[in-house]
Amino acid sequence: MKIFIDDREIEAKEGQSVLDAALDAGIFIPHLCSHPDLEAKGGCRLCSIEVEGEDKAVPACETIVKDGMKVTVNGPKAEKVRRMSMELILASHPADCTGCPKYGKCELQSMYQYMGVSPERWRKKSRPVPNNDSNPLISHLFTRCIRCGRCIRACQDLRGVKVLDYINTPQGIRAGIPDGKSLAEAGCRFCGACIEVCPTGSIVDQVKIMKDNRSYADNIVPCRATCPARVDIPRFIRYIKNGDFDKATAVIRERVPFPETLGSVCTHPCETECKRGEVNEPLSICRLKRAAGVNDSGAWKARVRKDAPTGKKAAVIGAGPAGLTAAYYLAKKGHEVTVFEKNPKAGGQCRYGIPYYRLPDELLDKEIDAMLESGFTLKTDTEAPAPADLLASGFDTVLVAVGTHQGTKLPLEGGDLPGVYLNAEFLKRSRMGDPMPVGEKVMILGGGSVAYDCARTAIRLGAKEVHVACLESPEKMTASKDEIEEGAEEGVILHAAHSFRRITGTDKAEGVELQKIERFYFDENHRAVIDLVEGSNQIIPVDNVIFAVGQKPFGTDKMGLELTHGPYIAADENLATSMAGVYAAGDVVTGTKTVIDAIAAGRKAAEQMDLFMGGDGDISEELLDNEVPSPFIGHIDGFAALKRGEPKVADAKERAHSFSLVEQPFSCDQAKCEAERCLQCDLRLQLTRPKLWNEY
Amino acid sequence: MTTLEHVKALKDTECIVDVLLNEVKKNECKTCGKCTFGYEGINQLEMILSDITEKKGRPGDIELMDDLCGVMKEQSLCETGEEIAAAVLEAISAYRKDFEDHISKRGCRAGVCKKYMTYHVLAAKCIGCGDCMDVCEDDAILGKKKFVHVIVQDECTQCGKCLEACDEEAIVTAGAIKPRCPAKPIPCKAK
Repeated sequence: MKIFIDDREIEAKEGQSVLDAALDAGIFIPHLCSHPDLEAKGGCRLCSIEVEGEDKAVPACETIVKDGMKVTVNGPKAEKVRRMSMELILASHPADCTGCPKYGKCELQSMYQYMGVSPERWRKKSRPVPNNDSNPLISHLFTRCIRCGRCIRACQDLRGVKVLDYINTPQGIRAGIPDGKSLAEAGCRFCGACIEVCPTGSIVDQVKIMKDNRSYADNIVPCRATCPARVDIPRFIRYIKNGDFDKATAVIRERVPFPETLGSVCTHPCETECKRGEVNEPLSICRLKRAAGVNDSGAWKARVRKDAPTGKKAAVIGAGPAGLTAAYYLAKKGHEVTVFEKNPKAGGQCRYGIPYYRLPDELLDKEIDAMLESGFTLKTDTEAPAPADLLASGFDTVLVAVGTHQGTKLPLEGGDLPGVYLNAEFLKRSRMGDPMPVGEKVMILGGGSVAYDCARTAIRLGAKEVHVACLESPEKMTASKDEIEEGAEEGVILHAAHSFRRITGTDKAEGVELQKIERFYFDENHRAVIDLVEGSNQIIPVDNVIFAVGQKPFGTDKMGLELTHGPYIAADENLATSMAGVYAAGDVVTGTKTVIDAIAAGRKAAEQMDLFMGGDGDISEELLDNEVPSPFIGHIDGFAALKRGEPKVADAKERAHSFSLVEQPFSCDQAKCEAERCLQCDLRLQLTRPKLWNEY
Repeated sequence: MTTLEHVKALKDTECIVDVLLNEVKKNECKTCGKCTFGYEGINQLEMILSDITEKKGRPGDIELMDDLCGVMKEQSLCETGEEIAAAVLEAISAYRKDFEDHISKRGCRAGVCKKYMTYHVLAAKCIGCGDCMDVCEDDAILGKKKFVHVIVQDECTQCGKCLEACDEEAIVTAGAIKPRCPAKPIPCKAK
């Protein structure tokens, strides 16, 4: 239907309010208590208009359009109401805009500047309420509350959480939590809708949550922003909550091809950023990903991308997570891809670095087989020709993703004695069924995940006493808390904050001399500085010593590519190497990092190589329909206190004698329960951001 | 009785400003907060009326309330706000002079608003004991032993402490009609 606003004819929809019709048509009418996603209440009267045939001004938000309706926005009656309303609001609102966290983004500020109104003729009296920063996520500064009720409508009606309401206090009426409860006590679900709809600076994100170096959306959903592969974490968790593991897997698979592998071994930087961690404990995101993978029926396969053949050929050297990921996406883009793998099986460090008890072969086989369905050729037990030769033999582009498979030794006295091993070789031999012999007592030098993999493998190979010594203090060790704990349960003796002085022995390794570290830090030149405790030397008798102090690439010197920092391949931000058409990705570029980093690098390599071969560089795919989740999440008593779920873990005494799986995946019920703990931070981004007047 | 009825049936002993202030203070708009005109309107009315009863009314306050209540009467979300606004409008129209007298500090016709009352020492009852002088924090009372005390009106802040301190009931308050009192302390006649 048609209505007329200030003599301008505009199109309006049946049942629409005059305010919405005007805003849709790009005509600005001031408004404050109305919000596009919330039911209009007509409380503030800033949207007052005059309608032909009515003798007084009416609020546009509560006036439903009628065909042929004639509306005047700035008539004298409406202007009088509008200006007086704003004056009255300002008369009780603090005047120190510059000290407000919402300065420059405040709807009230924007609106009164637009109207040019001041409260001078009225009695001015703000109603001071102490700021409440007791909640780690949401800051309450209710001195600035203008009682528009948007947060209350969002909490009550839109979300159904029913925590916020109008409350009567000695300082007057305002939005708040009845009965003097805290947000946690009242059953808040920390969805942030109240923050999102608050037009002033009354309800805001805690300052520490909002980091300057990332976008607003990334700050609101930090888990997704932190994932190197940008897996849509809240989305897949929501599907798990509803018991839909197929859709959950499809969401994960839109970004990464190894859900279950990642669910078993990912270092999950997302969990460190999870906002739930501020409330009590972070979501068990990694284990939920595993639960999705375990319960997947493969329904996603029906929608996998398969572009028409391009006639272009790509070679990938190394079938680790980076190489396989790149090959997978390149194949789906229609390219003919060949992967060269030196080892008997694909998987790279996932296969030959991570022990079986954390990542069994069967799991890897299953996920790699699924990737092979994309149609790339995998040549195992095959040493790849040099990149230049590959290009010469008809490949259009080459990816080097050989990882870091050579262990490094520190220049330590006794380092070359028999019985001294290197991490990479030790783990690989164990994985290939040809373990290196271990004596009664073994010491691992290093404090990362690989050190613990070595230590726990040594125990499983029969060592009676296994030590781990590292320079870092326990808090600074790069091994995860879970690994350190599980290792300790299996009998690993940790010597954190110890320096290794020498390996003793004449014909074979017999002991390691350790000395306590007072302080270990990096100076302004990034050089390690170690202050030792004098007289704290001790020699621990051992039969074997395993260096687990890092790994480096092998064989890169013969590739004819520019190297950096020794054996690492120099690649620019698009992963291009010094040779046109040759790319490099994963650990061989970055040094030993994580599986998820390798996957992210593999994706990027695929995009760049596709571009190089004349493609559009778009490897994205939609493995499920884009369903808009319900904004209604409801109330859960005691939501804040819901405990993080723990999976079933094999008994330490039993598991220490075999390579069987240490940790079981979550059961479906456990997974659904854990998923229920998610704050669903992403729902907040669905809320419409009201446009300010200068955006019309 | 609604506020409007109360306004219409105002007794001689009641002050219109005081009556309105009390009605406003207990008005339900104060405990609702769902609309700007009801909540901020009632709060402005309370502050303005309170100022007027306390001799702090400003020129223009009548017009301000008139302006406010005109809009409040038609733009409040419910009848509560509309009714109180209508009552204030009726009061202003029927008792405009009372409001003006308060604001121009002429006085409170009904003798209700404390700030408009004056305090006086009756010469016939004062025994010159000095108790009232002792409690006066503003040094507004003249006199000495056995002399009738005299309250200096320019200094008096109408705190009422002398009234409580006097055991002889020699101190009285007055509205428009003032008792005759000596201008300076004179020897006491009362015993």
